[in-house]
Amino acid sequence: METAVTLEHVSKRFPGVQALSGVSLEIAAGSCHALCGENGAGKSTLGKILAGLQAPDGGQVFVFGREVQFSSPHDALAAGIAMVHQELAFCENMSVAENLCLGSIPTRGGFVDREEMRNRASAQLAETGTMLDVDGRLGELSIGNRQMVQIAAAVGGGARIIVFDEPTSSLSQAEADRLYALIGRLKTRGVTCIFVSHRMPEIFALCDTVSVLRDGGHVATRPTSELTEAQLVELMIGRPLAEYLPVASDGPPGNEVLRAEALTSPGLFTDVSLSLRAGEVVGLAGLMGAGRSEVAAAIFGLDPESVGRIFVKGKAERIADPQDAIRLGIGFAPEDRKRQGLVLSQSALHNASLPTLNRLSRFSWINMAKERAQTSTLFNRLRVRTPSLDAVVAGLSGGNQQKVVLAKWLAAKPEVLILDEPTRGVDVGAKAEIHALIGELAAQGTAVLVISSELPEVLRLADRIIVLREGRVAGELARAAATQSALLRLMAGVA
Amino acid sequence: MQATLRKILGSQETGLVAVVLLVTIALTVLAGSHVDRGGVSINNFWNANTLIQTATDASFFAIMAVGATMVIISGGIDLSVGSIYALSGVTMALVLRAIGPMGTFATSASGLLICAGVGLLCGVLNGALVVVLRVHPFIITLGSMWVLRGIAFVTTRAESIIVPPTLTQVTKASLGMAGGLYPVPMLSMIVVTVIGAIYLTRTVMGRHIFAFGGNVEASRFAGLSLSRIQIGVFAISGLTAGLAAFLGATFYGSASSGDAQGYELYVIASAVVGGASLIGGKGSAVGAMLGALLIVLIRQSIRTLHFDQNYEWIVIGCAIIVAVVVDQWSTRLASRRFNRAAAR
Repeated sequence: METAVTLEHVSKRFPGVQALSGVSLEIAAGSCHALCGENGAGKSTLGKILAGLQAPDGGQVFVFGREVQFSSPHDALAAGIAMVHQELAFCENMSVAENLCLGSIPTRGGFVDREEMRNRASAQLAETGTMLDVDGRLGELSIGNRQMVQIAAAVGGGARIIVFDEPTSSLSQAEADRLYALIGRLKTRGVTCIFVSHRMPEIFALCDTVSVLRDGGHVATRPTSELTEAQLVELMIGRPLAEYLPVASDGPPGNEVLRAEALTSPGLFTDVSLSLRAGEVVGLAGLMGAGRSEVAAAIFGLDPESVGRIFVKGKAERIADPQDAIRLGIGFAPEDRKRQGLVLSQSALHNASLPTLNRLSRFSWINMAKERAQTSTLFNRLRVRTPSLDAVVAGLSGGNQQKVVLAKWLAAKPEVLILDEPTRGVDVGAKAEIHALIGELAAQGTAVLVISSELPEVLRLADRIIVLREGRVAGELARAAATQSALLRLMAGVA
Repeated sequence: MQATLRKILGSQETGLVAVVLLVTIALTVLAGSHVDRGGVSINNFWNANTLIQTATDASFFAIMAVGATMVIISGGIDLSVGSIYALSGVTMALVLRAIGPMGTFATSASGLLICAGVGLLCGVLNGALVVVLRVHPFIITLGSMWVLRGIAFVTTRAESIIVPPTLTQVTKASLGMAGGLYPVPMLSMIVVTVIGAIYLTRTVMGRHIFAFGGNVEASRFAGLSLSRIQIGVFAISGLTAGLAAFLGATFYGSASSGDAQGYELYVIASAVVGGASLIGGKGSAVGAMLGALLIVLIRQSIRTLHFDQNYEWIVIGCAIIVAVVVDQWSTRLASRRFNRAAAR
């Protein structure tokens, strides 16, 4: 079989870390090849090198037998490689058509030829089987649709090899299914897909072969048919993962600590009621757009439009802004850690102490020793891997960034903790640690509300699952009654 | 010990201190010397008179830069500081003239209070307008820059108002130094910088300013009071402009609506040369002061080295761009060094 990509002894060093050391592997043409490993294993770096976003320090890269040296994504595309980014790079203020033609906007007599641009864009989208209004503003599309546009741009640009960097990490189940179908279509057309991911189910469902990286080195390349999920996890983390088992919370839940009654926010959700008891983990499930994050935001005082009654420990309270929520003992780790969770330009220390500075200070004077002590205790507990407390969070891996967000809220010692997609874009090891932590928190009496698009995660963690559909509570399932199919039926509204 | 040393060497201001020192040394070497009446050879730059004069020149807008840098760290900008300076100065001069003669302490106290009060009020107004109207600080302060100077112009009828001479004696106190040396503005600059640095690095409010400038959304999610932070930084910026006005007007003995015209740009330049990022989230009080000092040193060098003074603006403009570019390079290098050291 023809080889699409051959890597020989590829190395890449970043300040302070050897991201890749002497990686050699082959990727067969027309296959779907997974690159997996924990965060920081080097899989994204490898993808970026292939896409021309980063140049290797050493080693050789061959594409269809020819040695290549990319100095830009443009070079890579010329050789037939395109990348679908983890962070989508688009001009959100421009139309879909403009974005698709951005590299070479068609002109007629010096002016933009809108008709031609529209035609080209529609043709590109049609080629990947996507139907979208090409005149719509890109910023108004869902993340899933933006990804479709990105893939269309890649295929339309003549890419024969597409690198997907954790493409489903921010997609709903339905959108992910559409993406899987698209990847299937691409495969039949002979396009080679390189899939950077650490989601077990999709690796096994989509990919023919998987290469595992660990700490910058290549550990193994195997056909997926010869591996089990547990074996793959072991290859990735280099040890058997005992914690990869369901978290069972024991003991009866305590008193009710939070009750929301008839929460409504025009256009987002209607008449949502829920209650949380101490020591209980409650899952909030639903399709993308069902209003899960919106309900959480309203409870945390971030939605000025919302109406309804909120009771904290049986007392009616008005939560007008996050300060009220925090004062009442509610914590909220939002879904988008880069935009909502962290100040990327600041240190891990300063991020972790941000909501609790008032407790760490006297007359506004920060007790820095106390701040450091509190943070390093939490970082040890969460096993945050950072060069030092003063390292800027922008440079940390996704899993460690997420742990900093969690540390922030653990420091506040909330009685109610809302976690919105706590393990999105986080590797298996960190994910297991976060799951264990959630169990631990519940055991200590914290009421935890977990929002997740990953059904197995909700099923594993929650004592009780509330399902939202189109902004309304569609039903509630106790742990015993909760199965993936029961949940899906409620989420989708089919009997 | 070694860690402390590395921390000092790695800190943001070290490069700037080095540049200021280099310029100082170069000027001292190149300035030449003259022989005074007593027959002693004196360096044309490295003498108490010129040095304190240079620091005094810098002090007025260095003080404003310490405040304005906080606005810049929060991701905003304050174009109205020059106008706040003018309005504070003339308000003080007019009020003190209306009250008539008082004791030295009473005059100083009321003068300082008026300047600080007017500055603070203008700053709070700027901040409140930004928060309530949700208009970008650039626009709000561009407007208030003209409005405030206009108020000063109308109330003074474009006249220059004399400040009571007792006040001039206070700001021109020699504090035991030889005659003709006035260290008060310089010392005030240092005090304001130290307070500003402590405020930014050691207090909750300071930390909040950095968080706000680094990521507004994350700050909202962390439960910070965004409007308080934003009004706060403008209030501080106004306050420092008021303080600078007190020093400036009393030092020169009069106040007029045309005072500190164009200072807003010097102030922003100082903050930016001092390492503040216009995107927000980065900057320091010490940097802002050093930035002001560097700009004045460059201006001074034109005089000391007998260059054509008509080229002053061109030289300063180029120097600001060079300074910021060099700063960006060195930060990039430093962060690389930091990461490497941290990995070990």
